[in-house]
Amino acid sequence: MKKKLLSAVLAAVMILSVTACGKGKTAKIEGMKDGKFIQTRHITVELYDRNVDGGTEAGNNAWTKWVQQQMLDKYNIDVQYKTVARWTEKDDINNLLAAQTAPDICYTYDYPTIQTYAEMGGVHDLAPYLEKYKSLMPNMFAWLGDSLIYQDQDPATKTLWAIEGKRNETCRINTFVRKDWLDKLGLKEPTTVDEFESMLVAFRDNASTLLGADASKMVPFSISFDVGWRAANLIESFMDPAITDKELYVRGFDDRKFTQNGTKEAVKILNKWYNDGLIWKDFALYSEGDSTEDDMIKAGFVGAFMHNYDYPFRNAKDSINATLAAQYGKDAKFVAVNCFKDKNGKYTKYRYSEGGDRKVFFPKTNKEVEASLMYLEFMSDPATVEYLQIGDEGVIHHVDAATGAIVIDKPDDAHHDWFQNSGKNIDMTINCNGLRLKDANLTTLSLAYSYSDVDPADVKQAIEAAMLDARAPKTPTVGDIAAETQGTDLKGKRDQGFDKAVTASVADFDSVWDAAMKEYLNAGGQAIIDERTAAWEAAYGKETMLK
Amino acid sequence: MAKREKGKYAAPKRKFDKVYFKRYWQLYAFLVLPLLYLLIFKYFPMQYIIVAFKEFKLNMSVWKMPWAYYKTGPVLQTDALKYFKTAFGNVDFRRALVNTVRLNLLDLIAGFPAPIIFALILNELRFKKFKKVVQTIAYMPHFLSWVIIASLCTQLLATEDGFVNAIIAACGGNKINFLGNPVNWIITYVGAGVWQSFGWGSIIYLASIAGINTELYEAASVDGAGRFKKMWHITLPGIKPTIVVLLIMNLGYIMGGGFERPYAMKNNLVTEVANVISTFVYKVGLQDLKISLTTAVGLFQSVVGLFFLLTANAISRKLGERGIW
Repeated sequence: MKKKLLSAVLAAVMILSVTACGKGKTAKIEGMKDGKFIQTRHITVELYDRNVDGGTEAGNNAWTKWVQQQMLDKYNIDVQYKTVARWTEKDDINNLLAAQTAPDICYTYDYPTIQTYAEMGGVHDLAPYLEKYKSLMPNMFAWLGDSLIYQDQDPATKTLWAIEGKRNETCRINTFVRKDWLDKLGLKEPTTVDEFESMLVAFRDNASTLLGADASKMVPFSISFDVGWRAANLIESFMDPAITDKELYVRGFDDRKFTQNGTKEAVKILNKWYNDGLIWKDFALYSEGDSTEDDMIKAGFVGAFMHNYDYPFRNAKDSINATLAAQYGKDAKFVAVNCFKDKNGKYTKYRYSEGGDRKVFFPKTNKEVEASLMYLEFMSDPATVEYLQIGDEGVIHHVDAATGAIVIDKPDDAHHDWFQNSGKNIDMTINCNGLRLKDANLTTLSLAYSYSDVDPADVKQAIEAAMLDARAPKTPTVGDIAAETQGTDLKGKRDQGFDKAVTASVADFDSVWDAAMKEYLNAGGQAIIDERTAAWEAAYGKETMLK
Repeated sequence: MAKREKGKYAAPKRKFDKVYFKRYWQLYAFLVLPLLYLLIFKYFPMQYIIVAFKEFKLNMSVWKMPWAYYKTGPVLQTDALKYFKTAFGNVDFRRALVNTVRLNLLDLIAGFPAPIIFALILNELRFKKFKKVVQTIAYMPHFLSWVIIASLCTQLLATEDGFVNAIIAACGGNKINFLGNPVNWIITYVGAGVWQSFGWGSIIYLASIAGINTELYEAASVDGAGRFKKMWHITLPGIKPTIVVLLIMNLGYIMGGGFERPYAMKNNLVTEVANVISTFVYKVGLQDLKISLTTAVGLFQSVVGLFFLLTANAISRKLGERGIW
């Protein structure tokens, strides 16, 4: 009897232990013990280089050293950074990929680049790895969620070439005007496009009052070659506010709204302004990353512009507003205004959706996929992100006594190596764009305080202006669109089209615009529209709105 | 047409001379390095020309890549010439082709005589010091990269705050859109090219002028020839072989040309006239990764370039001049 009982107990224990083994069995990476590699692994990681005035060496500073030390201590992974110029990142990473010398972990804003390489067999399919190691990456799955991680997965083949990053701030573009100029001329902040235009005219006609000896340098409204971005508030106000998700998606393969209905009317206004001498004459001569326009704005020759919602506040003492204040007194600054109404009288504009930011991918030259995934996991850890964004108290942030908000400062000379080459180290927080503190409430509170040397009230106003009537485009899951990799220089043609249309004579505007649009569509734009339409209809049928 | 006299221009043919070689083999050994260079960097890569006829894949060796095909649904139809057909069907390529020829031809017309004229003028200068100073100043632009010249052009010629337009405006003239108007842009482009290279290009002519027998000038002076007569009848014929050789070499470049200059100088308003084959290859091939397409374009470009070179060489031989080989 005893024996029987004993054997029964033993058997039960065995079965239990076996099932326990089965249940408790977590994914394991070969060569890893207690979450740490036994032998040091080596990975290279892409990092944008913004070549900031007064900054530090992008790939070698206190921040990169901190990450390298952490990765070594935590995982026994040796991280080396490979820097790529921020404003030509797509071109540069392309060159590296073509030469088979790209870093192990790459990121880019441009999905078709990844897709092109993937089709040639140059990119790792991440789906099987993620399935295998999901349990080892709790932070990444918690932060991005399945919806972002698998957003680019092909519904048919189940391949996943890239993991989308997430935006924690979704403000996009604001219109800025020189507040002190308005005051000087006794004007109110414009609230309609007509008021905006008369403001520009007033700037132009009062150049000597506003600029004195420099009157000839007056630029009432400045844009760059990238008109679709730098006139976005105006362009988007001309789109149909009742636009369907389907149309927005089908014609929205680039976020400059070139092919959207209504854009032509908006550009026609720009064309009129250009010919009236309200827009910077030479905007089309300078290309990506050129600082000529920034220098003009900082020198105080520009009356209004549209750009990233926080553009005048970026870069602390070198920010536009801080530079202006240093030269012309603290009243001299840009403030955000809303003046472009859609046909229903709302200030409709498009903000970012959470997805659609940078996409992380591993080229096939990456022989350390597991170690690279651990890097992503580390970068998704809230503690890592918080440290990279706000660092040590007293070094690059202090706590506002009145509100308790975190205020980000520029480091003093002794701590210059802790200078953040990108705002909140966004270039390092590879899958997070925007302030993300461990405490969500503190994050919201601190947003307006995350720019040093400018007035938090101005930042707060800019955030509110950018969010007023703003909508986020929704991303359908329809898989890769092959045509998106087949066009010839579509982005170039889009910008050339915008630029030529703006600079055309008023009489020629229609023909110039139509010719540019035709050229763009023929170069592959139409093929994308057609394929996107088909892909949408295959996935959603007659439905035109997403839930 | 007179037959070429044997041995007059070409080196006389000799049998392999053992003694000669034994004595001078070190000199021949010097040739090994440049030959290796040619072999490794010019001949060895030629095998990849085959990419023009194949579908480029990153994860395969060139030999295993499939021949170019059209894909209609699941059906693959092999056509090795697909990328040549695509190229000629592409409006950007056709424009780049026309622009390459047009810009190079204008460069040749404006840029080829400039150093010759400059050399002739320099040769007539009496003050040696002044001549040296002028020469040095004229060489300088050659050492500037095109990126710098392009930004100089923008600084000087921009409409809003360019130096030249500021002067024009101050004199009461109408501002000229040097860089935004296609025709003006071409003129600026060609002008910048002449400015950059005429000084440097004149060196070879000056050297060749220095080689002319001075007795000829003296004899002409005795016969009562003036400066222009001497220039026309002695100097120019004296440097004619040099001119012809350089012309042939330049004709060989008519389909080629650098990348830096058009890339640095172009802007969004003039791409239609500014995009050349090299910038097209960079934009479409490297940046949009259409490797096969641009290899096809490159191959086409080389073949046409070779054709020009051979033709020019043949013509020059027929005219009784020495070719480049």
